[in-house]
Amino acid sequence: MKHVFTFDPDRCCACSSCMIACTDQNDIDLKAGEKCFRKTYDTEVAFKEGGIYCAYLSTACMHCEDAPCIAACPVGCISKDSDTGFTIYDNTNCIGCKSCAMACPFGAPRYNGADGKMVKCDGCYIRVKHGMKPACVRACSFGALDCIMEEEYRNSGSDKACNVLIDQANLRKKEALRRWR
Amino acid sequence: MNELEKKIKAKIPGEDTGIEIKRSLCAICSPGCHCGLDCYVKDGKLLKVEGTLEHPYNRGKLCTKGAATRNYIYREDRVRTPLKRVGPRGEGKFEPISWDEAYRIIAEKLGTVKEKYSPHSVAFFSGYCKWYRPILHRFCYTFGSVNFGTDDSTCFKSMDIANSLTIGAPGGPNIPNTNTFLGWNYGGYYSNHLSVGPVQALKERGGKVIIIDVRYSPAAKNFADIFLQIKPGTDGALALGMGKLIIDNGWADMDYIGKYTYGFDKYKELVQNYPLDKVCEITGLNPDDVFEATKLYATNGPACINFSASALTHRINGLQTHRAIICLGALTGNFDRPGGNVPSFASYIHKRGGFTTREMEFREEKRPFDQLRIGETRFPAWDEYCDEFQAMDLLRQIEEETPYPIKAIVGFGMNAKMFPETDKLVKAFDKLDFFVDADMFMTYTAKYADIVLPSCSSLERGEMKAYEGGYLAFTKPAIPPLYESKSDVDMLCELARVMDLDDDLIKAGYEVCCDWMIEGNGVTVADLKASDLPVKIQTAKPVVPGAYLEKGCRTPSGKIEFYSKAIAAYDPKYGLNPLPDYVDPLFDENDPETKEKYPFHMIAGIRIPNTIHSRVHEVPWLRSLRPDPLCEINQEDARNLGINDGDAVEVSSPYGTVRLKAMITAKLQPGVLAMAHGYTEANANVLVGRDHLDPYSGYPGFKSLRCSIRKY
Repeated sequence: MKHVFTFDPDRCCACSSCMIACTDQNDIDLKAGEKCFRKTYDTEVAFKEGGIYCAYLSTACMHCEDAPCIAACPVGCISKDSDTGFTIYDNTNCIGCKSCAMACPFGAPRYNGADGKMVKCDGCYIRVKHGMKPACVRACSFGALDCIMEEEYRNSGSDKACNVLIDQANLRKKEALRRWR
Repeated sequence: MNELEKKIKAKIPGEDTGIEIKRSLCAICSPGCHCGLDCYVKDGKLLKVEGTLEHPYNRGKLCTKGAATRNYIYREDRVRTPLKRVGPRGEGKFEPISWDEAYRIIAEKLGTVKEKYSPHSVAFFSGYCKWYRPILHRFCYTFGSVNFGTDDSTCFKSMDIANSLTIGAPGGPNIPNTNTFLGWNYGGYYSNHLSVGPVQALKERGGKVIIIDVRYSPAAKNFADIFLQIKPGTDGALALGMGKLIIDNGWADMDYIGKYTYGFDKYKELVQNYPLDKVCEITGLNPDDVFEATKLYATNGPACINFSASALTHRINGLQTHRAIICLGALTGNFDRPGGNVPSFASYIHKRGGFTTREMEFREEKRPFDQLRIGETRFPAWDEYCDEFQAMDLLRQIEEETPYPIKAIVGFGMNAKMFPETDKLVKAFDKLDFFVDADMFMTYTAKYADIVLPSCSSLERGEMKAYEGGYLAFTKPAIPPLYESKSDVDMLCELARVMDLDDDLIKAGYEVCCDWMIEGNGVTVADLKASDLPVKIQTAKPVVPGAYLEKGCRTPSGKIEFYSKAIAAYDPKYGLNPLPDYVDPLFDENDPETKEKYPFHMIAGIRIPNTIHSRVHEVPWLRSLRPDPLCEINQEDARNLGINDGDAVEVSSPYGTVRLKAMITAKLQPGVLAMAHGYTEANANVLVGRDHLDPYSGYPGFKSLRCSIRKY
């Protein structure tokens, strides 16, 4: 039952309820400097010929098929969950070397100030195994974010899987999301 | 971590984890909404929330604010016990007292004001979240005061009055059956998230959407087939110009007009003053776009219009603007037909359930008539259609003490930041003998009170609630009240006993009052409490489009009134126009000196995803999404003024100044500024003049006022 995160930018408004739900689900301590695992963007992109495109986006770990963070970790903290296909972790042995973050094109892995250990989006894989949607998906009122079975995704003919979208939009370079002035 | 620990960390409900889902509702925003909540609870503590999938209203959805419920209810500045002020007003120095002592002081102080002045010198005021309104309203009347007021003085009611004057009924858009949605000032995403789904569905079935807004909003980007980015406050001129186009091009439904409307000839004469070129000069729109939008609305029916509860009516020409927009539905025969705007009436606290309760009788049977309400005779349309005082006159009456003094305020969730010239109002509180405020948090306003009572949240109480589709609910507490907080209605009922008010119903308690109000619907509070979800009410009837018009409108003529007979009957001294003519939204600020000094058109009170009025600005999760108050400014204006994104700026009007940060955008047109309201450190409403009011409704022109901006 491999799962795929999908995102439809034409349904998003960067309301950030996905971020709040992630914060609620994962007990993110903002006061301690922690941040949730999802981030939204309300970005104005200027066209050369004039006018703007308003990009409303929500991003998190893409749960890449060939996740570079897994290979980058010297102590084997990161792995693929065999049921969901999500990139999960156990940071018991994490040495805080940040190799995973450097290997990740999206900067998904983060470091907790308190213990210096890596944390990241685990796709709410325990929830998914219990028949629930990931918290961020459950909180999206507009159907912009979804998480569906791989088979369902392939049959839908959609091209809205997160990792595919990112390639289409050429957003692998982080600076492309810099706010337009 | 073993499997059970993993499940507990993931908050999976179950016997093994000890996590239970309890049902409640989110009461952060207006009672026109209030989504069903699944509360994940363990050992009396809330672990997380989600929208209730089985709830007939929100079907599992929650907005950004509702999603932050856990952080909201566990805010550190929750009022924990009744408090008595020991420092100067506004400083925030209080000492805890017992409930008994609080009740004793309140009873004594209100009794003294009643005796020394009159019961009317006590003003009762409800802010958010309004759910206790029927009890507070009746309490006020039983006490003997005519002065019950609410945030209706600045929200929703002006639109409602315009509806009453014109069609005699509310008239929401019937999007599921429409072909064209005219999203006049429709934002949706950040203000009414449940309205977005039907518009998405409309687009998916090939329907058309027109968006008219001052900002290029997410709705404009995601939905608009035609987007009209209009100059702020000129919507009335556009509506009249569209009316002329509809008549001139033969798109008007003349049979419908003949049968169901009143005053068409006079209206037709009026719109002759609004030819397309003139309308485009006023509105800044492209004539071809206006023509195409009008044609689409008038010829691709059934078509419906978004009725704007605040954005359009927060201008001093607002009520007539909304009337002019309603007239388009009358011209094209789109009012009271499937897919048009369909009338339906509220069942209980703004919610249209298709059944009737005795909410109005509940207060009316105790209503005193022996004094004028605050503001009465100043705004005739308000006086006729709203049985509350118009709070925009409160500051004047406290200061001037005419026609009689106001010496005490009983506030529930009172929000001084709602008032223009907020700084003057809180200063005027010094003239009060007594001010009690009940709130969940130590708010800016509560700091001025003599006694502060700790309210609990919707998760900590039981409350009755109507929902669309014929539902009624009575929630049960998901967690016990935090600290010594109480349900607002319990405070009122207990206080009524301490004061020994002549009111057996209120003294009998909230649930008895609810049973009284819903009598005749075949259910009792006990029945409702037996269900975790809203209960379908057998007396509820679905709205049948067309039935209202056939029966005759609840207007003086019994028809849809282009020409308002009610307005025509008001004393000519008010200078009001029975026709929905357009006036400049800045007509009181257009002298050459003010124009030069304050060249920008400020919209003070836009919607952003992480705030609602003044309610959740201090919720840390929500604040983190946008840590600073921002003033949006067009990129060209910013360049000309040397302002960069994030610069500290000072925004001034003739009435006040706020300091905040600049947010540079191309979504706004040059010459326009916009900011969200409700911040204490940058309160938009200090910029608004107390007399910058709509002469019909008394509504402040929050969304059209003159300002200047500079770096500091």
